[in-house]
Amino acid sequence: VTKFDPISLKILWDRLVAISDELVQSLVRTSFSMNVREGYDLSCMLFDSKARLLTQGSYSVPSFTGTAPKTLQHMLDKFPPKKLKPGDVIITNDPWMGTGHLFDINVMRPVFKNEKLVGYTMSVTHLPDIGGKGMSSDCTEVYHEGLRLPVCKLQDEGKLNELILDIVRTNVRVPEQTIGDLMANVACNEVGGRSLLEFMDEYNLEEIESLADAINLHSEISMRQKIEEIPDGNYKNCIQIEGPRHPILLNAVVCVKKGEVAIDFNKTDGPVKASINVPFCYTNAQSLYVIKCLTIPGLPNNEGSMRPITVKAPHNCILNAQPPWPTGGRHSVGHFVVPLLMGALAPALPEKVQADAAMMNVFSVQGKHRNGEEISSLFFLAGGLGAMYGLDGRAVTPAPSNMTVVPTEIWENRTSMTIEKRAILENTGGAGKWTGGSGQEVVFRNDTGNPIEFALMGQRTEFPAKGLVGGGDGSLRKYLVNGVEVDPKARITLMPGDRIMMQEAGGGGYGNEKERDL
Amino acid sequence: VTYRIGIDIGGTFTDFALVDDSTGHLLVHKQLTTPTDPSKSVLSGIITMLEENSIPITEISTIAHGTTLVTNAVVERRGATTGMLVTAGFKDALDIAMERRFDLFDLRLEFAEPVVPRRMRVEISERNLFDGTIESHLDEIEVEAAVESLIDRYDIQALAICFLHSYVDNTHEKYAKELILTKFPHLSVSASSEVLPFMREYERWSTTTINAYVQPLTDLYLGNLEAGLQELGFSGRLLIMTSSGGMVTTDIARTFPVRLIESGPAAGALMAAFLGQRLDEPNLLSFDMGGTTAKGALIRNGKPLRRYEFEVAREYDFKQGSGLPLRIPVIDMIEIGAGGGSIAEVNDSNLLEVGPQSAGASPGPACYDQGGTSPTLTDANLVLGYLVADTFLGGRMSLLEPHSRKAIKRSISEVLDIDVSRAAWGIHEVINEDVARAFRVHASEVGFDYRNCAMIAFGGSGPAHALRVAKKLRIPKVIFPVGAGVMSAIGLLTTPISYATLRSSRIGLNQLKPSTIELEFSSIEKQAKDLLIKAGVKVAEIEIERRLDMRFIGQGHEVEVSLAENFDVKELEILFRRTYNKVFAAAPHDADIEVINWKVEASGPRPTFADNYTPFQGAKKGTLGQRKIETYDDKTGESSVSSVVDRYVLEIGQKVLGPALIQEDETTTVLATGDEITVDNLGNLVAEINYTGV
Repeated sequence: VTKFDPISLKILWDRLVAISDELVQSLVRTSFSMNVREGYDLSCMLFDSKARLLTQGSYSVPSFTGTAPKTLQHMLDKFPPKKLKPGDVIITNDPWMGTGHLFDINVMRPVFKNEKLVGYTMSVTHLPDIGGKGMSSDCTEVYHEGLRLPVCKLQDEGKLNELILDIVRTNVRVPEQTIGDLMANVACNEVGGRSLLEFMDEYNLEEIESLADAINLHSEISMRQKIEEIPDGNYKNCIQIEGPRHPILLNAVVCVKKGEVAIDFNKTDGPVKASINVPFCYTNAQSLYVIKCLTIPGLPNNEGSMRPITVKAPHNCILNAQPPWPTGGRHSVGHFVVPLLMGALAPALPEKVQADAAMMNVFSVQGKHRNGEEISSLFFLAGGLGAMYGLDGRAVTPAPSNMTVVPTEIWENRTSMTIEKRAILENTGGAGKWTGGSGQEVVFRNDTGNPIEFALMGQRTEFPAKGLVGGGDGSLRKYLVNGVEVDPKARITLMPGDRIMMQEAGGGGYGNEKERDL
Repeated sequence: VTYRIGIDIGGTFTDFALVDDSTGHLLVHKQLTTPTDPSKSVLSGIITMLEENSIPITEISTIAHGTTLVTNAVVERRGATTGMLVTAGFKDALDIAMERRFDLFDLRLEFAEPVVPRRMRVEISERNLFDGTIESHLDEIEVEAAVESLIDRYDIQALAICFLHSYVDNTHEKYAKELILTKFPHLSVSASSEVLPFMREYERWSTTTINAYVQPLTDLYLGNLEAGLQELGFSGRLLIMTSSGGMVTTDIARTFPVRLIESGPAAGALMAAFLGQRLDEPNLLSFDMGGTTAKGALIRNGKPLRRYEFEVAREYDFKQGSGLPLRIPVIDMIEIGAGGGSIAEVNDSNLLEVGPQSAGASPGPACYDQGGTSPTLTDANLVLGYLVADTFLGGRMSLLEPHSRKAIKRSISEVLDIDVSRAAWGIHEVINEDVARAFRVHASEVGFDYRNCAMIAFGGSGPAHALRVAKKLRIPKVIFPVGAGVMSAIGLLTTPISYATLRSSRIGLNQLKPSTIELEFSSIEKQAKDLLIKAGVKVAEIEIERRLDMRFIGQGHEVEVSLAENFDVKELEILFRRTYNKVFAAAPHDADIEVINWKVEASGPRPTFADNYTPFQGAKKGTLGQRKIETYDDKTGESSVSSVVDRYVLEIGQKVLGPALIQEDETTTVLATGDEITVDNLGNLVAEINYTGV
């Protein structure tokens, strides 16, 4: 540690972050998956030779916080470092080893400097397709959801394993795009390895372990100091969310003590027969995300910063679902870890927490364009953001994950449907000293001349976004077909000329409404 | 009539360059900007320059002008009260924006407010469908009533007309505009299909509302300037530079003022490109660093890269995504919050951070002794001995080094427990890394290999950092041009009149026939040509460049392909794949290809700019004398002695070996131990860096 003073540490660290950012950029520009290019549903990481996370690209969704070190460990269990060769590439999309669902492919490449293993690079992206039933909530086993690749060697000393590529190609709906994305991952890892070696040359480093030590120690200390500012205590919260038949109960106890945080999801309900179960890696990621937002939002992700935080969930509860429970839409339950923990910590950090967000509305649309082209696409709509101390929640803004809107003009071109309206639903955010963000109302009309299917996965249709510290709840999400309300988790068929109206939920308010400055 | 003047208005200074095309003589001048009415400083600067050199104004053929007027108006919200007419159902598009958080971990985000408040947007019951069919027709009475009520209730001076799918069929927008101008001739009216017929309603409408918002102010400014010049007896041509680096007449500038955003920095990048051509360096990094920001541009085959997106008025820490998006042709520049005034601090996680907050001109760096107490990059450079305290700005301003030391000590050294010079070095080097990182990420975005390029470094702070940035990027050559302090003003004199535009129309490659291509280009090509003809360019002299944005069907990002004059449609796929592979390395794709955007740039003849231009600087020669200064050596952590060299006495072929500072009025070039520059036969300083063994 003595090797790096604060100045050198800052400079070297920044460069490593820059290398991972460069990887992110090239992935976004070349990928086909909408989730990747519009929602940055991807991540790139650098590791040292002891498989410790050094840096992560600064722009990736919360789902990937802290998952990669475990993925890498699974890979090295099967292919020990001693047996790895330059030009090897290891992959897996196993939900329990990777990031929680089959859509995400994890691609790793060892980095060698003069025959010596000095580190690893890894990228994760959401693939355009992985076979099975596609993204929907009506799978009951992981086997319905598509192809599950165990940890395997896609490239052996520079030579691609054509059999694996063939297996993928044969199992997916859009083979060119899926293989294209897979290869973009392979290419970006190669670039990452090269950049890491150049960096080591420029600064005359033979190894990066001692740098990893310094980065991790520094991060750990900063994180502990920030956690120490939270009053010690056991903070509890319990929320109900919507399940396929019955409400699901999520429970958490957050124990803050002497610069450490221990989160336990005990008494949380079990898994359900729908693709909304959450593997633990994802629960863990969302938990770390909350603590990071509430402590040091700008701190680069690495192992040190996560060391003071432990997370556990009972075996085979819905936040630690085991195979073969289906997990494709794990976000629709997993995202609720954020309001669950924010609510728990509200008494301890009243000026830092954020009231519940309306959550994103993700639905998939399948049918035929008027010109005969197939339509198969995800669509995202945001509701309102939760308010916080000193700040109204912004209208129509996604949380905790992120996305970018698909413009009306692009959507109409791509589907030949017509969007009749896209307007803020005023006063749908919770009341409060600071009000929750409003939702929006969007009306789609089926002008394709063909029946078109909407697979709905809506949350916040029974349980609103809760207000905090006396703030009111946001309004609920609703779906209406031709003016009649429909089941928010069903697969709906719109006939030509039919309209579906989506009313997006509002965010929770903060503080007593009567204290609002006018 | 052989003289031309280039004038670049910046936030603090207005720069002037006057060239005599018959002799190549160049005169430069710098004076303070008059922020309340920038046309005043422009006029008084012209008078000063002409009087001092006894040149009658009738000898001036052209005045070429770059200005930050429009950017500042948007940032400071000084535009007109603006209304908006919008397709029914969509008046909230400006608030809904991108439905995106620009930072995932920071919960307290703030976004820039749209320039048209929600209450001043009126929905009109008209509707175009995506294929150009009209679902509901425009109602004249409804339009008139809407505008009348906006005038009555809010006294709007400008209006944006923003209808869905107007890039396919602009009939409604065009008709509404004609109608409104007949009834309300005093209004400034902008229609979205005219500003830029681009598919994506939020960005197109955001651009259109900003165009309307700055129109009255631009009109007033240009009116004052023209009247003032006329009074002086000027009978030549007044041209304005756009953000894409093209010169336009004041008429076009008044119609599309949004295109003037970033017109000054664009001129700097163009000057770098121009110099590159003279020096036979077609691939370049242009690095311009001033008081508040650093700007980088990549120049490929003699031309700066262009793009069609820009963000203005970033609300939150200069963060990308916190501002208002614009779709206009711009020179593709990276902008980093890193300049002489950038403030250094120790952040939340106990690490040194520099910028993007800037001390600006007021209170300025601690060493200016104007009340600034935060340590800045300029303070760090002064402590490190990379600036000479008493020759700053040619001695017109002196710097107080003890103030710098004190500021760094209190805010950095004591917090991190390191000595002052080490802290100062940290500030200096963090900026170098930031700049190098921005270049690196940007180059990978556009597939640009900077290792075979030269860097051109200019601006007040650029030459102090350039060599260290270059070494991080392994750039083999750095050029410090003559007149580095007024590069943008000189750049204004080297650019032809031009107009660039685009149109969205999505067509699969397999459906493309030569006739479709002609048809798709025809409307925008006609618009561009007509504008140039109106500006006085002869038809025969107009050059047209066509480009396409193409992508694999399903991808979200496009690759730009330039079309040769007589290209073959059949070769388009190969052309696209070749360009794609250059940008993203090889990726095997069997996917289908489509065209998304059709782009046209029409330009007039390039002004003849004397090849042997030489700045006149006789008076400054030899005032510096022989000096030495103690500078920080990062290799040893100790100080070493550098010589201070007067740039004005250097002769062609002369070499200077580091450690040394090369001093001129507006900037200082820093050479570390082992660096060496040679003065080339045009007076530029050229450093060659050898990487073997580094």
